[in-house]
Amino acid sequence: MADKAVTGKQRVSAPLAAGLSLVLPGLGQIVNGEWQRGLTILLSFIASVGLGVWRVHLLAHLQVGLAAQYRKALYLSPGFIVLLSIGLIVLWLWAVVDAYRRTKVVIGKSTGIYVLIGAIFFVLGWQISEINPPKFFSQLDDAWPAFSQVIWPWQAAFERDRETIQAGAPILVPCDSGPLPDVPTETPGQPYLMADPRCGDLSSLDENNNTVPGSTLHLVGRGFAPNSEVQIWWSDPIGNEFRVRQAGSYVTVTSDAQGAFETDIIMPYRLMPPSASGVQIHQVEAKQIAEVGPLKPSEALLLSLEKMAETIFLGMMATVFGIIMAIPLSFLAARNMMSGSPLLVSIYYLTRTVFNIVRSIEPMIWAIIAVVVVGLGPFAGLIALTLHSVAALGKLYSEAIESIDPGPLEAIEATGATKLQVIMFAVVPQVIPPFVSFSIYRWDINVRMSTIIGMVGGGGIGFLLTQYIHLLDYRSAGIAVWFIAITVATLDFVSSKIRQKYV
Amino acid sequence: MLEVKHLTKVYPDGTVALKDVSFTVEDGAFLVIIGLSGSGKSTLLRCINRLIEPTEGQILWDGEDITAADTTQLRHIRRKIGMVFQHFNLVRRSSVLTNVLAGRLGYVAPWKSVLHRFPARDREMALLALERMGIADQAHKRADELSGGQQQRVGIARALMQEPRIILADEPVASLDPVLAHSILGDLEKLNQEEGITVLCSLHYLDLVQRYSTHVIGLRKGEIVYTGSREDIRRMSDDEFKRIYGETAQRVGGGLEGSVGG
Repeated sequence: MADKAVTGKQRVSAPLAAGLSLVLPGLGQIVNGEWQRGLTILLSFIASVGLGVWRVHLLAHLQVGLAAQYRKALYLSPGFIVLLSIGLIVLWLWAVVDAYRRTKVVIGKSTGIYVLIGAIFFVLGWQISEINPPKFFSQLDDAWPAFSQVIWPWQAAFERDRETIQAGAPILVPCDSGPLPDVPTETPGQPYLMADPRCGDLSSLDENNNTVPGSTLHLVGRGFAPNSEVQIWWSDPIGNEFRVRQAGSYVTVTSDAQGAFETDIIMPYRLMPPSASGVQIHQVEAKQIAEVGPLKPSEALLLSLEKMAETIFLGMMATVFGIIMAIPLSFLAARNMMSGSPLLVSIYYLTRTVFNIVRSIEPMIWAIIAVVVVGLGPFAGLIALTLHSVAALGKLYSEAIESIDPGPLEAIEATGATKLQVIMFAVVPQVIPPFVSFSIYRWDINVRMSTIIGMVGGGGIGFLLTQYIHLLDYRSAGIAVWFIAITVATLDFVSSKIRQKYV
Repeated sequence: MLEVKHLTKVYPDGTVALKDVSFTVEDGAFLVIIGLSGSGKSTLLRCINRLIEPTEGQILWDGEDITAADTTQLRHIRRKIGMVFQHFNLVRRSSVLTNVLAGRLGYVAPWKSVLHRFPARDREMALLALERMGIADQAHKRADELSGGQQQRVGIARALMQEPRIILADEPVASLDPVLAHSILGDLEKLNQEEGITVLCSLHYLDLVQRYSTHVIGLRKGEIVYTGSREDIRRMSDDEFKRIYGETAQRVGGGLEGSVGG
């Protein structure tokens, strides 16, 4: 290669090579004997042109004809099209010049053309992956409300019991239809509402659809929670309840230090069915939703805790089963344990292959399969993680077995020990430290994995997290995220400490 | 009596390590095998207890063919053949006592030993063996905490646990300094003389050979090129020396303390 670079390698004349590369970039180099270089240039050129045509078509698929699409794409995405076009033209010309020069004496290795190819693919990659940094900053504001809730979700971690304090007063509609309802009796300490007058007309519409305001009621409330919001509701004779609006917004008043309030409302508009004619007793109500009692953990907090525990144990059990199954299997996958007969060697290759296949399939995929078999829940996650752990640990363990000092092995064998004794006395003491280290590392990984395996129904906190995100309950999601972060960080710390001890 | 007949070993890669090697070792002999690195010394020793399977030939021990033994027979033969190694081959993370007890593995019930449970008699025996090698106080240390000389003594104690009739020693002193080398070989000589254990030992240094051996064979490229007694070593001619160590080898110090560099 170095020789070629310095002296060039004349097989064909320089103009012929250049001409061939003008027809197809790289062809001249191939004919000249540098088939690797030529093929790289040729394939890169074809691939870039192909990818370019694809992206142009995507950008301007409404246009008919390649030229029209190209013009439209140039209009929509000028930077990309211009850069790509220049790159391809330069590559083509460079390939011609390169083919010409490679037949002559060349000084240096001239790798510039590869840099150009790399640059063309970078431009293509930028466009294909739709990289758009301004978008990231311009839309950051939209993400902030959700993001801030996730970052600090602890307001939602504790709550008080809610209790509705309410009192009502009956209203006769209209006034002349019957006897006035009784004034509610007041019991000290109980919420009490009194309306004056105790009858009136509802708001209504005239022929021109203009609102005719109803009677004004003076409301007096007592015995409510002090200094807190009181909502005024209306309940019609058929039992429909709605909040009273005045000039478009809900009527709310604030109680004073004694828990009393006074306000005026205009009786609301209510279209009653004809069957409801006659004496109508409506009810005006005052409601307070008060937080009472001590602070207690919210449901999101408790659920997150519960699911976190499930997750940790899910990871732990998967690790335990993984270790139990991986230890015997790892001996079958260790070259130095399986030499001797062709049968042993084929078992070795078989085990290795199975390990590699199982390991290369992500736990998420295994979880999806396991969910089909055993249904949603932690058991599916356990199966997925166990499968993956067996394969991953089996590979690590078998490599640890392969790297042991063979000396003690032959020494124990020479004493007349059986194969099992050799393993127990010469292999096991040597592989304990790496096994412990790998196992703890795996536990660490499994807990981390089990946090996301729930997203496909494998149980654990991932399931809860996905639910909260779908419900747009970012505070609760934030609590789950915090638990995951705390657990993973703690485990990371603990596992590194334990591993340090054993290495 | 150990008879090696036409022993040949060809490794899978085609290397011929031993070529038609035949010799006889009387009971109670201290046979030293000399030769350059790669001359087949280690292969020869390992063929005797079949840590390496010979390609051709027979090894008869009191008439019994070791090369024809099945797995169980082979284990019974192996437990009567102790082995000592250049790098001691102790399980470094296990205790000295466990390493020594491992010498009993051929005798105890496999399922018990797997749980590291040995009869009390074996434990006493192990402590006695360590005492005999002068390292009883190290019994509960980890093997890799010991010095090189002490580790080799643990190796010999392990071999002693087998109550061996033969000890194969593969360059037992090559990793030790000259003073320790004499002391370790002295231990082997004592076992050879007091207990009548046959010793087959490969060595590099000619002064050690002529000090400890009763018989000597010289290997070169897998073939026996020299056979002699202790007295013959003293009288070894330059010609014989060059047959073993090659034309370019230099004898240092006129012959008796001769050694080979490299």
